[in-house]
Parts: sequence; C-alpha cells; structure tokens
Amino acid sequence: MNPLHEFARQQTRRQFFASAGLSLGSVALATMPSTLRAAPAAGRNYGSKIHPALPELPHFAPTAKRVIYLHMNGGPSQLDLWDYKPKLKEHFDKDLPESVQKGQRLTTMTSGQKRFPVAPSMFKFEQQGRSGMWISELLKHHWPIADDLALIKTVHTNAINHDPACTFVMTGTEVPGKASLGSWLSYGLGSENENLPAFVVLTPTWSSGANAQALFTRMWSSGFLATKHNGVALRSKGDPVLFIQNPPGVDSATRRAMLDGLNQLNEINHQRLGDPETQTRIAQYEMAFRMQTSVPELVDLSKEPKHVLEMYGPEVSKPGTFAHSAIMARRMAERGVRAVQILHRGWDQHGGLPKDIGGQCRDTDQACGALILDLKQRGLLKDTLVVWGGEFGRTVYSQGTLKPDNYGRDHHPRNFCMYMAGGGIKGGYVHGETDDFSYNITKDPVHLNELNATLLHCLGVDHRRFSYKFQGLDQRLTGVEEVHPVKALLA
Amino acid sequence: MFLRSLSSLAALSALGALPAFAASAKIEFTRDIRPILSDNCYHCHGPDEQQRKAKLRLDTKDGLFAVRDGATVVKGGNLKASELWQRITTKNPDDMMPPPDSHKKLSTEQIAKMKAWIEQGAQFQTHWAFEPVTKSALPKVKEAKWSRNGVDPFILTRLESSGLNPMPEASRETLIRRLSLDLTGLPPTPEEVDAFLADKSVDAYERLVDRLLANPRYGEHMARPWLDAARYADTHGLHLDNERSMWPYRDWVVNAFNRNLPFDKFTIEQLAGDLLPNATQDQKIASGFNRCNVTTSEGGSIGEEFIFRYAVDRTETTASVWMGLTAGCAVCHDHKFDPISQKEFYSLFAFFNSAADPAMDGNALLTPPVLKLRTPEQQRKLDAFTATITAIEKQAKERLVTLKYEPPATDTNAVKITETVWVDDDFPAGAKAAVNASTAPTTWIDSAKGPVFSGKRALMRKGTGVAQDFFTDASQPLTPTATGKFFAHVYLDLLDPPKAIMLQFHTDGWKHRANWGDEEAINYGIKNTPEKVLMGKLPEAGKWVRLEVSAAKLGIKAGTKITGIAFTQSGGTVHWDKAGIADSTNPADNPAFALDAWKKSVDKKTLPQPVQDAFKADADKRTDAQRRAIDEHYIQFVWEKTKSQFAELNEKLKKSKDERDAGDKTIPSTFVMADLPNKRDAFIHLRGQYNKTGEKVERGVPAILPPLPKSTNAPTRLDLANWLVSPKHPLTARVAANRFWQQFFGLGLVKTSADFGSQGEPPTHPELLDWLAGTWMEQGWDVKRFVKLLVTSATYRQDSRITAKPLQMDPENRLFAHGPRFRLDAEVIRDNALYVSGLLVQTLGGKGVKPYQPENIWEPVGFGGSNTRNYVQDHGEALYRRSLYTFLKRTAPPPFMATFDAPNREQSCVRRERSNTPLQALQLLNDIQHIEAARHFAQRLIIEGGKPESRLDLGFRIVTSRKPTAAEQKILKATLDKQLARYQKDKEAAEKLIKYGETPAKAGLDPVELAAYTMVANLLLNLDEVVTKN
Repeated sequence: MNPLHEFARQQTRRQFFASAGLSLGSVALATMPSTLRAAPAAGRNYGSKIHPALPELPHFAPTAKRVIYLHMNGGPSQLDLWDYKPKLKEHFDKDLPESVQKGQRLTTMTSGQKRFPVAPSMFKFEQQGRSGMWISELLKHHWPIADDLALIKTVHTNAINHDPACTFVMTGTEVPGKASLGSWLSYGLGSENENLPAFVVLTPTWSSGANAQALFTRMWSSGFLATKHNGVALRSKGDPVLFIQNPPGVDSATRRAMLDGLNQLNEINHQRLGDPETQTRIAQYEMAFRMQTSVPELVDLSKEPKHVLEMYGPEVSKPGTFAHSAIMARRMAERGVRAVQILHRGWDQHGGLPKDIGGQCRDTDQACGALILDLKQRGLLKDTLVVWGGEFGRTVYSQGTLKPDNYGRDHHPRNFCMYMAGGGIKGGYVHGETDDFSYNITKDPVHLNELNATLLHCLGVDHRRFSYKFQGLDQRLTGVEEVHPVKALLA
Repeated sequence: MFLRSLSSLAALSALGALPAFAASAKIEFTRDIRPILSDNCYHCHGPDEQQRKAKLRLDTKDGLFAVRDGATVVKGGNLKASELWQRITTKNPDDMMPPPDSHKKLSTEQIAKMKAWIEQGAQFQTHWAFEPVTKSALPKVKEAKWSRNGVDPFILTRLESSGLNPMPEASRETLIRRLSLDLTGLPPTPEEVDAFLADKSVDAYERLVDRLLANPRYGEHMARPWLDAARYADTHGLHLDNERSMWPYRDWVVNAFNRNLPFDKFTIEQLAGDLLPNATQDQKIASGFNRCNVTTSEGGSIGEEFIFRYAVDRTETTASVWMGLTAGCAVCHDHKFDPISQKEFYSLFAFFNSAADPAMDGNALLTPPVLKLRTPEQQRKLDAFTATITAIEKQAKERLVTLKYEPPATDTNAVKITETVWVDDDFPAGAKAAVNASTAPTTWIDSAKGPVFSGKRALMRKGTGVAQDFFTDASQPLTPTATGKFFAHVYLDLLDPPKAIMLQFHTDGWKHRANWGDEEAINYGIKNTPEKVLMGKLPEAGKWVRLEVSAAKLGIKAGTKITGIAFTQSGGTVHWDKAGIADSTNPADNPAFALDAWKKSVDKKTLPQPVQDAFKADADKRTDAQRRAIDEHYIQFVWEKTKSQFAELNEKLKKSKDERDAGDKTIPSTFVMADLPNKRDAFIHLRGQYNKTGEKVERGVPAILPPLPKSTNAPTRLDLANWLVSPKHPLTARVAANRFWQQFFGLGLVKTSADFGSQGEPPTHPELLDWLAGTWMEQGWDVKRFVKLLVTSATYRQDSRITAKPLQMDPENRLFAHGPRFRLDAEVIRDNALYVSGLLVQTLGGKGVKPYQPENIWEPVGFGGSNTRNYVQDHGEALYRRSLYTFLKRTAPPPFMATFDAPNREQSCVRRERSNTPLQALQLLNDIQHIEAARHFAQRLIIEGGKPESRLDLGFRIVTSRKPTAAEQKILKATLDKQLARYQKDKEAAEKLIKYGETPAKAGLDPVELAAYTMVANLLLNLDEVVTKN
C-alpha cells in the first residue's frame, strides 16, 4: 500500500496507481488490427479540397511548407546545453552580483533564498561546424548538425511560472483561451493531405520522474478558432487517433456497407432540404473512412529501412518514446501534415539538475539530430521548419544544494535558447548574446512574439495581416505590440 | 432612436454576402459608417488617448466635425471641404488614410458609402448599443396573415424588402422534434408525436410548448449555454488542475430555469447573492458564478499576480455576459474602439478585487469561502443531535462537580525511560522498503558522503516534489505505551531545505501523520486530525535535530502495533537517522495518570472546541472556567481513576456525535463568493501589469452608460447587479435576449453575441431586438414567457428547407427566410443516442460523473501529484446520465465534448462554433458509448418493432419523428440485409460486437440479428437528419 496515496483513495474511493501513468508506451500504435490495413476502396470522392488555405494565403512565397515544433516542457537549462559561459568557473558558489541581478523578479520558490550562489555548468562544451557554435556534451548528436541550426541565445518571454509560460509560448498570451500556433497554421494554410489532420500533437514519455510539470490541451487547442483546427493527438496508448478503430466485430467491409447506406440516406436528405452542410458531412464521413486506412499506414514502421531506424536510436520502435515520436514527425512531414508538435516533459530541474538533464537529453538528443539529418537526406528539410525550445530558461544561481557536480536552477524568463532549422532558416548561425552570467541579454533580443513572427514569415505569412476577429480585437498569434520577423535568421 | 427606415438594399448591405450597396440608399452612421471607421481608423483615431495620432478622434461628434488648422474633418453635404474625404481618396502616399503601412485599405464600396454619407449631410449617431432600448410599433407588412406574434412583422418586413418570401410552416413531425430538442434537449417519443399529430385543437402547438417548458429536462437544457458563459467546471483549471466542489452551483442554474426565476433576480443572485439582506442558502450558492474562474496553486507563483488576474477575469466575464462588452481590451490601455477608458475598466474591476478567496487555491476540493449545504430536514436532524448531546453533557456535569483531580505520587527511583531504536543504519528486520513518487532508489549514505547521526550511515533523499522512503511489515512491530513518544533524527540541507517533512506511521493503514513546515506542501490527510498533526516550523537546517511526537497526539492508543514508518519530504535534501520510540514508567509521565503529562502530549486540535479555546489562553492567564473546562475533560475522558465512572455516558455521547458527524459529512459544500472585511484599494494597472500600478480608482461604471443610483455608502457588487438590470440599462436586456435568439435560431440578431461594441456586427433587425428587449423587461424578465414568444413565432415555425434564392443571397440565413437548421450541440447528440436507446438515466443533479472515456486522455497531460491525473471511470447508472453531469476537467476535457465544439470552460464563452469534421464522424461511428447505445436501440427495435420492415420504420421514426419514404425504406432494408449476410458468415464477430459496452446484451436474442440491427441503429444515429435540428 502506498502511504502517500492512501488518503486520496480513502477520500474518493477511487483507485490511485503508484506509478501514476508512467507506464506509457506499450501497446496500441504498433498493433492495429490487420482488417484495417486491407481496407476496400473508399466510396465516392466528395470534393477534392476538404480543408483549403485561406484565399489570401500565403501572403508571399514561403520558404517552408510545414513545421515540426519540438517543445521541451519545463524550461531546459540554456546554461548546460547551449549558452557557453566559461568565466563562470571562477564564480563557483559566489553570490550573483547585484549589478547582474538588478532586483528582477524571482519566483517565490527562490525569492526567499538567503544567497544566490552561482552554479557554473559542470558539462563540457565544444565548438562545432563552420560557425564554431558551442554545444554541450549533453547534445552530442546535435554536433554534426550544427551547420543546419540557427541558434537563438536571446529568446525571452513574459511569464515566470509554468502554466502561464506554456500558454504564452504556444498561444502568444498568458491567459487561456487563445488559439495555439498549430491551430493558426491549420486555419490559415489548411491541409495538404486529405487523409490526415493538418495539425498533429505527440506527448512522449520522459526520464526525469513522475512529478514533471503538466501539459494543458490549450497548448494545442484552437481557442477562438473553429475546433476543427484543434491539434489531433497521435496517441501511444489506445487508438492512435481517437476512435479510429472500428468497434470489435466490425471490419472494414462491414463499415463500408453501413457507410454506403448512410451516404445514400444523407444524399436524399440533401435533396429534400438543400443544406450544403449535409454535403460537407458526407465528405467528412468519407475522410473518416480514409483515415481508418491512412492512420495505420502512417504508424506502421515495418517498411522503414534498418539504417534509418538506427539513426533515431534504440527506442524508435517503442510507441510513446521521443524517438518514436520523432520518426512519426518525419513520416507526417512526408505526408504533408502542416504542423507537428512534440511536447516532451520533464525539463524542470530545480534540484539535481546534472543527473536529470542527462536523462532528458538521452531521451531526445539522438532523435532530434536524426530527425534533421533524415529530413535532409530526403530533401524535406529545405521546406520543413524545425523549432526546438522550452517555455523559459533557468537561473545561473543555484536553487538548493550547490556542489560542482550537483545543483538546481529556478525559472528564468529573461533569456533562454531555442533553435530553428530548415525551411528557409540560416544554418550554422548564432543569434544574440547574453552577459557572462546568462542572466541578461546584451545583444539582439528575440521576444517569443518575434520568433513566432519569423516562423510565420518562413511559411509565407505576414503575421500582422494574419488575424482573426474575436472579443472585439484582431487577434494575432504575435500579440498586439508591434514586432517584426528576425530577418537575420533567414537564409 | 436608430434605423427608423429600412430602405430596400442598403438594409442588406451590412451582411457581407448580400446584395451590394446602391449609391442612392439612405446611409445610417451606426449601421454603415461607424463599422468602417472603427475597423480602419479607430486604432489611431479612436477612444484610446495614448495611441491617438495627430490628436484627431473620429468616434465622437466633436472630433468628426472639428475644424483644425482651417480644415474641417467632415463637412456635411460638402465633399470638397471634408478633409476626411480628401485623405481617403488621395493617391499621395504621404497623405493617404489609412496609411499604406497599416495594411488597411477601404474597399470601393466603403468609399462609396462614405461619399454618400457626407453628401447626405453626414448625420452622426451614438453607437446604437448605448442608446436606450426603444420599443417601436410593429411594422406594417403585406402578408399580415403570416404573422403569429410580434416577432414576425419585423422579420417579414425585412424579407419583403429583400424580395424574399418566408417558408411555409414546417410539418408537425418536424415541429415537435425541433421544439422538443430546443426546449428539453431530447427528441419526442413516437407516442408524443402521434398525440401531437392527432391534436386538432387550435392551441395544440401552444400546449405542446407549455408541456415542454414544464418538463424538468428544460432546466437542464437551458443551463448548458449559461454554464458555458459562467465558465463552470469541476476542476481548478490551472497547473495541478485538481478537483473542486462547484456542482451545487450548476444545479442551482438548472433549478433557476426550471422554477422560472426572472432574469433580473437570476442576475442579482449570481453577481451578489452573498450580499443580499438575509441571503438564503440558495442565493449564496448562486454567488458561485464569480467563483467559477480558473485558479492556480502552482509553486513559485506570485500571489499578487493571481489576485489581480482573478479580478480581471471576473470583470471581463461580467462585462461580456451581461453587457456584451469586450472590456478586456481596456486592461492594458483605453479601449481602442469602444468608449471604455482604462480607468473605467479598473473602476469596474474595483467591484471584484476585494474577493475573499485566496490567490492560491491550495489544490483543495473546497477553497474558501465555501458553504455547507444542509437541507431544512438535515438541519433539523443536526439540531436533534445537538439536543441529545447537550442532555448527556448535563448529566456528566452533575457528576463532575463531585470529583477533583489529584496528581499522582512519584517514586523517582523506579522511573525508567526505555528507548526502542527501530531504524538505525537500516530499516528493521523483515521490513519491506520502498520509494514513492520518485525514481531515485532508497539511499543510505556514510559519513564520507554526508552527515550521519548515529552508527555507520543515514538515510538520504533529494526530491523535487513530494517523495518518500518507507517500509512496512517489520517483523517486530513497535507497540507504544501510553507514555510513548516517537522520535527520529533529521538533518536538513542548509542550501536545499525541503518545504516540509513528515513522519507517517503504519498501523492497519497509513493514517497517522506528523508534519513539520509548510502545511500544504505535502498534501495528504485532513489537517489538525491524527491524519495530519501539524508540528509547527521546520527544524533548523544544517544540524541534526531530534523530532518527537507522542503516540497520543497521533491518535495511536497504547498497545497498537506499528509496522512501518514513512519518511517524507517536499523537495529539498533530507537526511534521517536513528528513529524509534521512547517510553517511561513514571506515572507523572503517563497522560492517563498525570494531568500535566496529558496537557503536554495531547493534540489540542482533537479536543472539543471549549477545551481547545481554554488551551489557547496562556496557562497562567486562564480563567477559572477555562481551567475547569480542561480539568473536567481530563476527569471525564482521560484520567484512569475516574473515566470508568463516565463509561456509559461517554459511550452514549460518542455514539450521538458519531451519528451526527456521519450524516453531516456526506452533505456537500460549494464555493461561494464573499468579500474581504476590509476592501482592497484598486488602481489602474499600467499596461495591464499586476505589479505596475498607477492612479487609484473608486468603484464606478463607464460614463457612456447610465450612472449608478446615488447612495451614501460606497457602491457594492449588489449595486452593480441592480444597476445592470435597471430598465434604463441599454445593454443587459438586449444582450441576453440576443443570446436566447441565438440559441433557438442559430445566430443572434447581433451575430457577434459577445461584442455589442463598435467592432461587433450591428443587429440585422435592430427594431426587433429592441422590441424583444423591451417586451421582456415589461414582462418582468419572465424567461419562460420570453422563450415561448420566440418559439411560437411564425419565424421559428418555418420549414427549414433551403431554396436556391436565399441560399445564394443569404447563405447564413441572417434574414430568417427559412426555419433554423443546424447541428446539435455535443451534449444533445450524446443524450439523444442514450435516450432513444432507452439507456438514459434521468436523475437530476449531483456531483459530476465519469462516463466512458478513451484511455490516456488525462494521463499524458496531468501533473504527477494531481488528483485528476488518472481518469477512473464510473460504472452502472453514472455511465448513462445526461451529458450536463459529466465531470469536466478543464486541461483535458472529455473528447465527446471537445470534438463537438464544447468550450473547455477556461474562460467565458457565449457562442459555440459549429464545425463539421472527420473526427466527429469517427466518434459517432466507433465510440463505445455510441455503439452500446446502438445495440440497445437495436434490441428495442427487435423487441418492439414486429417484422423487419416495421422494425426499421420504427427505428427511423424514433430518431427523426417522421416515417421513412419508400426510397429510404429500401436503403435501410438493403443495409440490414447486407449486415445480416455478413454476420451470418461470422458469428464470432457478431458476438464481439454485441458485447461491447458494460451492459449485457438482452438474453434470448439471436446474436447475428442483434449485431446486424446494431449496425443499422448505428447508421440511424449517424444520419445527418438525426444529428441536426431540422
């Protein structure tokens, strides 16, 4: 019996599990019933473009057609991964100078701390690629792709705690209710695949423990846009797409026969009442039927060559892992899915950072590198934009215990690192600079709104003209303040 | 007064797809010009003073007709002399308006309208929505016979002037289905259809409406849109997103509609029920409206920020729901389009920023202020118990006056303290050790690696959240005596201290906890009971400290077997060493013999209130009465020498109290609104930042609206609520009437039902909107009467067939040339399937239920420590309740809701989208609850339907209310035959299909036949006609 949870169980008479949902990644993606694989031909084709782009889009020629957004949830430490600060060694366990801290706000987790001792990263950095980009030893699989990356060292955001910051990074505002990035893309640019959703979300497992920060469906929800622009979860347990499998005892032919009758009756209804929505409904049922074939085909890795699978690492065949999600992202990019978002949890290292971040990097590093190389070798990287980053960065001062090889870091929204690659982005480029403590930006700040403006720019969208009227305002992904795409990041 | 005359084509031009503007038409500023100016000019030349360019404003009469540097902005009847005209028509990019870099451009049609407006004399009007509601006479129409009530002439005059004809009345089958779905959210039964068809009386339709309005299902159905607006849900919404007890408010809303609470009272009770004189329990529950907002308890959050945010949310929600104002725009700056300054926003905000709820919700089910909801009967029971208990206490008192406490004699030579060490260098023999909520294993470190208190090693754990080392099944249990004190040594890391630590002891369960430090950080057990004894602050860090807690304080009786200890921490680095129990043989140490020992060891929080209060006073300052209270409690319940004399009385007392508490514990509580005793000051927040305040503001309302009635005291929320429903208020009635219209007709007369400001769309039928608002107020805000007015109109009763001309001219049916036709809401689709299949359980109200939900909806997003991390599905009746009662977790709402456009209730929503997607198709085809419903529907058809053809006819009739045509019958029969043929070949598949779902298939039915009919029923429930209101 688990002493912590007994109370909850007594309170609610419900079963609580000791491992609290940790055991993801076992079944469904790989085990679609064979009946679905050999589906009979679909019925009459209703309307070729089920989900077109807005008529005015793109505003200009895009350099990217789609986006793969790798969201490292919790706030990965820029100090241990990307923002190399060799001078910090001298400051070990010394107080962060007031001239650096400048009385900026802290979370209430450390605002009561008596001291703010500097914690230099214990990890080695090396210079990689033509640009000599410094990358931590934790991200060795990023070393070979340094020349494909535009590393932005000066991203900053408005929020200092997880819930508002996650909402901000994905919707451009801290308060729930607005449309997420992928939903904006689905709304504006439509779908290039008639058989798969335009915006797909994956939430793989992570290493650093059960109490990882939460995700929120609002991070991929359509907010004020129509719900058809919601991100569709490609799930690792149960149906890969909700309700994609026929119920037990119904095979594809049975379903087809039922749908034929349904379509005929709906046709009669359309003749009777003349409502165009009825036609749309018929078309949606046909797309649903096609998805019952296209989704199993999508998640079937049996035709992937061994050497490709090996690139992504040993976990690639295990649904629910980051590596599996990464190869799914590539397969969706190939099939024209507009936006793929992988949200990897567990990057919130308030204590014991060196050990935990190692696990997080083991989860993701190899597959991130492989994804970019794999896209590149297929000629897809040139029009696929890959984005990597979290919701904020972490403090140079230690939260809690400080030893050379053990420290923790609190939230730091004032500067953190993200990278972009492919799709019209300048490779082998480092943008912006921070002070010696990675605490303040000294050159070329990039607000998240500017980053999103840049992302939209790559997709041929002028972010200022891309708006939706809601609550009396022209809502934009990039907020109300005037921002511009960061031209320096463009190839 | 506005939009008096509606000449033919101009009237339509406000609607994008309708015939274009004709230059000869009469221009109305409100309808034609303000939207152009608002969209293109107000950003820089509107109400926002900060953003205003060239000090020019075009939203006021003064601004529009101003003379500046010798030039007139607009001169009526004179294009040449109007600077505005010059600027919008010039080719010179330096002078051009809107400027090229704004990406705004006036269309040819807009320029033509501006021209016509100036030429016609440039009349100015205040924005229509801020003008008083003015009921005009019913317009004269050609086809006067068509009208059934006051709604219709307004609709018809517009149709006639547009060259459109209304559709004839829909068939009776269509009407009864439309009405039943609209008023109860459930379809009519074939018997109800037959009765209506047979009823030839003139008032058959009206009586049908009355019957439906009296059905309790009406309140459930009407509550749904309101709960969207109120952002009601069953979890807090942010971060952990734990459960909250809010459902009594949901039931209040249902009940309010059912008992037809007039809308003004409905408003007042929700916005200020807590402030009403002698507020009833019901009125206090209603005040929960303002507690439905999302809240957080995320570690690291800054309290001030969230107090601010909650007040902003409440202000915005009130402004949106009652006034259709997008007040949120003025959080950061003066509103760019509407006359609400930032200062005015914060004056409204000042009504809400003194709410008594805390910044951090504590992740608690009941975040104060809350209200325990006893019925009068329950209150009577409670009073009866109190009387019994008082009588017993009186008897005890009579005996107590004869007794006096005397301290025990102490033989100091015989006194021994014995320490039993249980944990040192390792857990005791036989112990099963484990770790909870962390991936790091149990770790013992020696002195080379860290501090050790005793022996060779100490237990060490580093945690980010709550984590614990624990063991059970020690082969030699600890058995404390009455004097027993548990001890353990702890060393907290100086730089990485935990938020809290806890010792927990295993008896027949883990029910005894002692907590040091933050009271909330380790969120288990009920505080101030043996489940969670609060021991005060954390011990000093950076040194070994001996923690002690007496067994008595933990509610552990002498002789109880202790088989395990859990060492728990919230974050930080913690070392534990040498733990066990110390017992004494000194009677003076024994609480059962010595009052002083008892006073030291007893957990005061477990004592009756008067004794607790007595202990609160310093020992030397206690009154005689307080001293007596302590002594008497000891003599009656604790002292070995005397307590046996009270055994019988004490037993009776305990029984009565237990019975009282057992009953009372099951009574739910709900969040209610209350203000702090001393209100907080309110300020303008610069750029909407919580920590950057500007000028101080007082409570007040925007100047464009009628003033608050004068009162001597500072205005309260109650004054605000009364003000909203005063007959002079131009917005409340219009906004609410428009929402009801939207509910029944698909779109509001003002399509942007959340925005009545200048950025919203003007009403298609302004006179009708005013007539409705005015009539409703005259009728005392009677909601049922108002609903009846809408649904008995000829406009509502039209056939929904869409013919070529209106489809082309008016695809959104803004002119109502045919009856409403749109997809049913998420809840109605599910309820319909359950209802026709006979599965629906029609219990009213109660705690949210957890029906079928695919696995892995909550789990991938939930925080580890959240109590809504794992979805634990209910069974039995809970699976088949109306969808209104489904437990709503905001950060991962139920798929059947989200897929069909239900909002996630993170913020107020007054209009749902209506999308049409493949994911909806997949859900209705494959979701277990729809398949199970289809199978029950199939059973019903087989049992009730007779021969195959009539079964299919019955099925079709149940779902559509009409009989199938011959062509439809043929298709259904062909489908059935195909399915029968398939399942005859594969009986195993048939068995599988009919076993899907928790209810068993009806015994005695042929599985092949049942499976085939299940597929046909699945087809019927997926028909366009069935998921649509026709």
